[in-house]
Amino acid sequence: MFNGGMPFSYYARLNRAQQAVYRKSDGVTELRLPRPATLHPLVTALDEALRTEDRLTTQRATERLVRGLTDALALPPVKVEVLAARPHARWGELHGLYTAERGTMPTIQLWMRTAKQKRVVAFRTYLRTLLHEVGHHVDFALLRLADSFHTEGFYKRESSLFYQLVPDARATAAPAVPAVRALESWLSEPLDARLARLERTPGDLAHAMRGRTTGALTRRPEPAAWSATEIVCHVRDTEEQLAGWIALMLAMDDPVLPEPAPAPRWAEERQYARHHPGAAWDAFGRWRDETLTLVRGLTPAQLARTGRHRARGRVTVTDIVGVIAWHDDNHLDQLRRALRGEA
Amino acid sequence: MASIEEYAKQSVEQRMARLGRTADELSAAIKGQSPAALTKRPDEKNWAGVEVICHLRDTEEAFNGRFQMFLAMEESTLLPADPDRWAVDRQYLRCDAGEAIAAFGKRRAENLDVFRGLSPEQWKRGGTHPARGRMTFETFFSLMCYHDDVHLDQLKRALEGKA
Repeated sequence: MFNGGMPFSYYARLNRAQQAVYRKSDGVTELRLPRPATLHPLVTALDEALRTEDRLTTQRATERLVRGLTDALALPPVKVEVLAARPHARWGELHGLYTAERGTMPTIQLWMRTAKQKRVVAFRTYLRTLLHEVGHHVDFALLRLADSFHTEGFYKRESSLFYQLVPDARATAAPAVPAVRALESWLSEPLDARLARLERTPGDLAHAMRGRTTGALTRRPEPAAWSATEIVCHVRDTEEQLAGWIALMLAMDDPVLPEPAPAPRWAEERQYARHHPGAAWDAFGRWRDETLTLVRGLTPAQLARTGRHRARGRVTVTDIVGVIAWHDDNHLDQLRRALRGEA
Repeated sequence: MASIEEYAKQSVEQRMARLGRTADELSAAIKGQSPAALTKRPDEKNWAGVEVICHLRDTEEAFNGRFQMFLAMEESTLLPADPDRWAVDRQYLRCDAGEAIAAFGKRRAENLDVFRGLSPEQWKRGGTHPARGRMTFETFFSLMCYHDDVHLDQLKRALEGKA
């Protein structure tokens, strides 16, 4: 019998001993660092190292942060290897890997470039992957689990480390309840301001959802208004859609942009209410990092490329970034209201 | 199982019938199956039954996006999709198979309406896919028949625990 929240579907396929490990893992939702501020300079140094795009510099900065974490949590040391492009297979990309064999020091491997485009991974994605692999080390070395499963508790532990390491100024630069700005207002902002909005959103979403129960995250404030989970799924799928539009605008001259299904239809057909909020947020974050990496790499001529939108007419890539910023504002506000029980 | 090329030789009516049967065939295949059976992957890399069904649902929507472009422009560039990423991002394993079939059925009916409304000139409209080359409505019509066959077979195998 599972006594926590809704387990992931693979729980049913585990044997009894594994299910016991799963439940134990799921029951631990936070890892407290004694003095997280002492690690902030290492986080900043890692961000700067990744920006150099140099593997050895990134390796050293990663080693220092991982060592700082293992020392803070009183864990045995772990070997760190930073590698170049991620391996890619039919089933997806490998972002990081934790391996532990009897008699040898456990190893964390991290890939700093994407498989297909060979671009350097966005900092937040890299840090999150690093914490994910450290999480596996924690499972074995601190929690003394016989296996390390991806449980809801596992993701919450990863999230708790992330928010202790990323200073509040970075994670919550937006005001607590930002005003929802009109689309035209966003379209008059420079690209940097739009991108800054986009960069903050995964952190703002996580900050709003942090510490909430699964029940609170999946509760609709009223029958016709989305729950927080459904809102996160919506921004995740919209990010994919808008990234597709940008890709199309870069690949074709002035294409007609295909209209997606109305948002409520996606919610119903893709069964958002059944989705796990943490996994949805994680997927959104990956799409968002890819959007940011792509847009930041575009030339002025590429940013000015156009497509034809059914309602707005001719739009540029920069316009689409403004639409995303406006969309983020709207749905962050909606999510905060949903969590207060307001439609 | 007929190939895309063999389907291309069939009449429009035969292919319409093939595409029109799929939702019912999916329902029949999963009849009486438990949620555990539907979410059990035959091995680590191969999809469970519910993932196969969700893939058909989402692909049907993606086909419709292609068709919108074919109808709106003389020639399109077709960007490749990433179905394995969809399976993870859209959390196929947490979905209800019956609801996914119902959604697939609605999408399929809409696409069949698109095909029914095409003029002879429009059947030849299309775009270029980086891996598959030039693809038209005609190509997609046969491809969809083949795609249904492949995934119906995959679904049945998954429910038998076979990759």
